[in-house]
Amino acid sequence: MAERASKGKLRSLLDSVKSVLYGMAGHDMARFALKTRGSMEHLFILITMGDLLGIPILPPYYSLRLLPYVVPQISTWKRRMLRERDLTDALA
Amino acid sequence: MNAILTLVLAGVAIGLGYGVYAKSIDRKIIQPDNSRTTPARMYMDGVDFTPANRNVLFGYQFKSIAALGPIVGPIVAVRYGWLPALLWILLGTFFIGWVQDYSSIIVGVREEGQTFGALSYRLISPRARGILLVFIYCYLWLIMGAFGKIVGYDLMSKPSVPLGVILVILLGLLAGQMTYKWKQDIILTTVVTVVGAFIGIWLGTLQGVQNLFSGINTALGDPGYKIFWSVVTLVICYFGAVLPIWRWAQPINYVAFWIVFLGILGGVIGLIVWHPSYPAEFPAFTNWDGDICAATTCPEGVTLGALGPLWPILFVTIACGAISGWHSLVSSSGTARQLEREGDALFVGGGAMFLEMFLAVLSLLAAVVGAGSLAQYAEWGGKAGVFSNGLAVFLSHIGVPESFGRPYGAVFLTLMALTIMYLVVRFMRVASAEFLGDRIPVIRNIHVGSLIALILSGILIWTGFWTRIWVLFGGSNQLMASLALLIITLWLASKGKNYWWSFIPFIFMFLTTIAALARTGYKSFEAVDFADVSGAIGNIIAGVLAVVLIICAFILAVDGIRAIIRVTRKEEAGAPAGK
Repeated sequence: MAERASKGKLRSLLDSVKSVLYGMAGHDMARFALKTRGSMEHLFILITMGDLLGIPILPPYYSLRLLPYVVPQISTWKRRMLRERDLTDALA
Repeated sequence: MNAILTLVLAGVAIGLGYGVYAKSIDRKIIQPDNSRTTPARMYMDGVDFTPANRNVLFGYQFKSIAALGPIVGPIVAVRYGWLPALLWILLGTFFIGWVQDYSSIIVGVREEGQTFGALSYRLISPRARGILLVFIYCYLWLIMGAFGKIVGYDLMSKPSVPLGVILVILLGLLAGQMTYKWKQDIILTTVVTVVGAFIGIWLGTLQGVQNLFSGINTALGDPGYKIFWSVVTLVICYFGAVLPIWRWAQPINYVAFWIVFLGILGGVIGLIVWHPSYPAEFPAFTNWDGDICAATTCPEGVTLGALGPLWPILFVTIACGAISGWHSLVSSSGTARQLEREGDALFVGGGAMFLEMFLAVLSLLAAVVGAGSLAQYAEWGGKAGVFSNGLAVFLSHIGVPESFGRPYGAVFLTLMALTIMYLVVRFMRVASAEFLGDRIPVIRNIHVGSLIALILSGILIWTGFWTRIWVLFGGSNQLMASLALLIITLWLASKGKNYWWSFIPFIFMFLTTIAALARTGYKSFEAVDFADVSGAIGNIIAGVLAVVLIICAFILAVDGIRAIIRVTRKEEAGAPAGK
């Protein structure tokens, strides 16, 4: 019982060390990949659903055809597009 | 005293600082609530706001805050003797460093992930944001000057270093290609590129290679070869600033991380295996001016000069490692938007700061026990060279030959500096486009913006006097920290919480850094001699930068203190404080 508990503790410690190492070495890369994908998606939504922000770019017919695919992201997209930004954002 | 005892002392400082002081502030004043939704969860968009595991975030925070600062600062500051430097590292982190890092995260989390720019606009005054941005631009310029001079003049100019650095960069590019284009396994990529990097560093130590670079240096003469290597450094930064991040900055940083991480790990193990005593030839205290050549006989041709009075100069010479304004920017803009639970803030912000303190102590030991005497310290140049040589001494105790350890230490430091420098150029480019892009549209072009940043950096590198640039860099960094503490104080006051634990550090840091900047500005203007045009330009730039930073800081402080008075009066009158 005690042996199993100590093995569990060791495993948890190793997992923590692994996570810290990942945080130092790879987390930035993963975040950047996510950011790139997110930016591309948001750009796509902008050119298709620009109407929602008052920017008429694509004829509404095509926007309506694409709408079902875009719906899940509209709220985060609008927030990101309209969020106040400044130079210190570039650090994030 | 044994060096291991210093590590134990650092451990005790962590135990008391983190385990007692920080936890009591966290529990009694901030009162984190894990059930409260953080911005990372509330606004999760998979882009800016993404919750991350606390261990992952701890690693991210530490890597983001620990650059060349905690290494070079203590090395320069030991010119006062090792005791003042050690005390400032321990006490600075204990009372101020973690306060700023942790509170910046908390303020960011409680204020919906707003950056310090937005917070200063809302909490201090509308003009505060603009002034803060001017301030940040000067700060970034000084980073380029301070780091660029170390890399170009001290590190890359060593014949055993350039090949290692160039090969690490090429292997970083290979890592990017393998990861993003060839979709190779990350472990395979890591093994191939990191092993290759170590082979590259070893190749740089071969006599034939060293002869080649020595030949180049001899042909260019002094200071021609230093200018040449600083231009090479700026060219590397140019590519880092204009190429996509996945192509250049990120994979090179990834390979560089392993070089640095293994170096620190090896250094700690080597120090523990060696466990030396403090050398009698390296006194605990030298003199109040940090004039090492007055305390020992400096080798011929070595002119280290006095640093200046212990107060305020020591407190800006060691910035990162005790307290640094850079951390507040990272904490509020990056970490606060990824925090999964409020209760993780202390572990991530405070914990990473205490770990950085440990790195600063290690660096101090590399200078003191690694060098072994003041004379040796002076012979190693009193700057980055001291760390690379000290690290080589540590590594030699685990079987790594010093002939490899020295260039390894130098490549380690070069990479640490470069990974920050090209991001700084990128940031300066964005800043100049923001400031002047509407009036001069060509500045928005990435090449033009980057070239402007590089030319400004080059002027500072080629004309500036390094010790003054370092003090200005430290001063601007500490001023940023004191302004972060001001914003934190203001936020605490607006919430009706006890704010003295951040207000007193603000007063201390503000007065100290203003004094340091004023002194450095005065010394720079005093040293202007038009017979030496280059030196005169460097001194004028340094003096003007000091004056600009002081003016900006005063405006922000006056606005900030007015805001604190306004908020506390409102609260006393019973009106709801806050907005």
